Amino acid sequence: MQKTLGSIAVDTTQEVPQRPAFINRRMMWLVIFIGGVIWALWESGIFQNKMVNTGGLALGGRFLSASLNPDLSGEFLLLTLNATLTTLAFAVIGLFLSVIVGFFGGVVVSETWIKSYTIARGDQELPILVRGLWLGLRWILVVFRSIHEVIWALVFVAIVGLDPLSAILALAIPFSAIIAKVFSEIIDEANHEPLYALLNSGISPSKAFLYGLFPLTFTDMLSYSFYRFECAIRAAAVLGIVGVGGLGYQIFLSLQTLKFPQIWTLLFALFLLNGLADLWSSLLRRRLGGDIRCGGSCVDVEAVHASQTSADPIYQDRVVRLSIIFAALLVPLSFWYLSPDIGKLFSARTIQNMVVVGQSAFPPNFTVFSLNEWIDLSKITIAMSLLAVAFAGISGLIFSFPAANNFLLSGGIFAAGSQNGTSQFLGTTVLVLTRGILLVLRSIPAPIWALLLLFVIFPGVIPGALALGIYTLGVLGRLVAEVIENLDERPLTALKSQGASRAGVFTYGALPPTYPRFISYLMYRWEEIIRATVIVGLVGAGGLGRSLTELLSSFDYQAVFAVLIVFIGITFIVDMISSSTRKTLRQS
Amino acid sequence: MFELFQVSRKFGVFPALEDITFNIMAGERVAVVGPSGAGKSTLIRLLNGTLFSTTGEVRVLGQRLDQLSPQALRQVQSRVGTVYQQFHLVDNLRVVHNLNAGHLNRWSLTKSLVSLIRPMDVQGAFNALEQVGIPEKLYERTDRLSGGQQQRVAIARVLIQDPEAILADEPISNLDPELSKEVIDILVDLSVCSGKTLFCSLHAIEFALSNFGRIIGLRRGRILFDSAAENVTDEMIKSVYRG
Repeated sequence: MQKTLGSIAVDTTQEVPQRPAFINRRMMWLVIFIGGVIWALWESGIFQNKMVNTGGLALGGRFLSASLNPDLSGEFLLLTLNATLTTLAFAVIGLFLSVIVGFFGGVVVSETWIKSYTIARGDQELPILVRGLWLGLRWILVVFRSIHEVIWALVFVAIVGLDPLSAILALAIPFSAIIAKVFSEIIDEANHEPLYALLNSGISPSKAFLYGLFPLTFTDMLSYSFYRFECAIRAAAVLGIVGVGGLGYQIFLSLQTLKFPQIWTLLFALFLLNGLADLWSSLLRRRLGGDIRCGGSCVDVEAVHASQTSADPIYQDRVVRLSIIFAALLVPLSFWYLSPDIGKLFSARTIQNMVVVGQSAFPPNFTVFSLNEWIDLSKITIAMSLLAVAFAGISGLIFSFPAANNFLLSGGIFAAGSQNGTSQFLGTTVLVLTRGILLVLRSIPAPIWALLLLFVIFPGVIPGALALGIYTLGVLGRLVAEVIENLDERPLTALKSQGASRAGVFTYGALPPTYPRFISYLMYRWEEIIRATVIVGLVGAGGLGRSLTELLSSFDYQAVFAVLIVFIGITFIVDMISSSTRKTLRQS
Repeated sequence: MFELFQVSRKFGVFPALEDITFNIMAGERVAVVGPSGAGKSTLIRLLNGTLFSTTGEVRVLGQRLDQLSPQALRQVQSRVGTVYQQFHLVDNLRVVHNLNAGHLNRWSLTKSLVSLIRPMDVQGAFNALEQVGIPEKLYERTDRLSGGQQQRVAIARVLIQDPEAILADEPISNLDPELSKEVIDILVDLSVCSGKTLFCSLHAIEFALSNFGRIIGLRRGRILFDSAAENVTDEMIKSVYRG
């Protein structure tokens, strides 16, 4: 035994502590995950069937080469512009409504609100009825959240018809539910001292919230709303495939008639729109100092808090101020552009349709499939989502590091030591290239990806999983790149200054703090992917989604309702697994 | 060990260090003192090669850092260890991995990776921890340790790196007086026992006078005095800290 340094007295006969067990809870999850992926591969039939459709290779090649000569005729450009503006307007109005509804919903379903009321009533228990209503509201939000925008769109098309109103409502309902959940978490995580101080001096809960809580949570809420804008643009493009217009719709039409040059014009418009939205949102979020939250139905409140360190109120920042003004202008402009017929919502015909759809959906008809068929359909849906997660996870790890601006550029985590022009140029090229690729991957809606993949892959689970995986990679890669850009630099400096190699700095300094966030984002995305299996099902990728489409087209609403119920059940299970994985990660 | 000749470093137009010249021999224990913003951290960064001088020459182990290839620079850096004010450890790793990071310039990539899954050289890590007095924390998650314990882990990492010189950038400014004394004792003892050079920046003059043979006074990026500890007068100390 060696002697100790300094003046510390220590029992030097101590034994080396026992190595912690190799099989811990984290390992257990990893083993379960790998087992699940192998099972999913088996289930997908990749070992049994031929996958690649060589006959479609020529078609795929023609599609790719068409990217060099998109349709630039004046007529088509005008159509593209109109479609782009339509998609943008869907997103703006949908999000605008969601933020308003989500804000009030978020306040009401927050624990803090209920607690404030209890305090205001002198610590008296709330009546059972109120409590029951509150819990009911939370559950309704969960259900609203777990049904994908496209399904909502199909429902509204049946009720209101092919009107912009359908698209707006389809977007606004799940988005409101997600925003309400996130806002309620922001409210519950905030510092409550000022709020309770006001409540205890006899001020009503609404006023106490206004003065004691909202000022604390405003930045986080604003930051998150702008993040949702990116998501809204992507969601609005997907909605097109049910026929309500916009870029997704036009791409779908051109795909059906194989007009490749037109598709590329539309795709370029989509890239541009998404790129601008992402740029705006990330610039603004950086100004707000708020960390990003993952997309989808989730928030990582623990890891995230907008820094409230700057002395000036954030709305005095020029970028923030201009953005708010611009956003405020976008809303009326979008209303004017789409001019949705709001009166239609309350017309006799709509109400009549609603009653008809409602009546024809009750009671849900589970006998449409046998128990075995139900199990098979669910298995395929879960297998598809697992494969998508595995694909996005593995490739996301590879793509997100080069997409971070502190990785290859000089002084970055993995930068070559010498700071000559060539390596800087190379670093910049890689950065721009990977970011561009990720943008393209997430700009194209998953069902469009599925259709494109069907050129070269036979229909089934694999193209569906790949389509979802590719799209998720685009979203995940960008989110994780932002996590990497916000890494604590100090441990990295320490490793560099002791002369560790680039690989050493990467594996000991950059990877360990990134991977828990990476996995929790991936788990959140899994929840999102499960929802989205429905929409690749629409283009024939199998599972519950595909049955849903078939049942919808035969107007068997009772069976549709049954499928939706099973589907929501699966979503719940996935949400539970996802949140307990994240909990394990936080604890160990 | 360290030779600086007319070294200046500017950040933009702001001169952080101006006209710094001194030599530090192998085995010497030197404290650099001065108020916040005097340029102490910049000086340390020049010595461990994470920053280069704007003008003048910085030689470490006889080599000019700004003229080395990245490979050669890493060679030199592996022979100089640094302890920081804010510990600079990876929070969510176990202590043993943060310690083994000290091996990184010797270990192959494969070995480094395998060790992240099944820790290697556990005995070495344990011995290092024992020397700083917290052997039982070997498998603890680093962010669960107190500030004093984290600073000991940072010192143990330097022990494992086994450099010829140790730089310490305000190693005690985040610790209470009791812990500060222990940490300084560990560093000084380490230097005495192994003959390693110790260059330590300190905000507090008392610890410097009682533990270091030579004191350099820094103020606004310039050296005010560079003298043996016993020759440092109250006058000189006042000149460094005066308002």
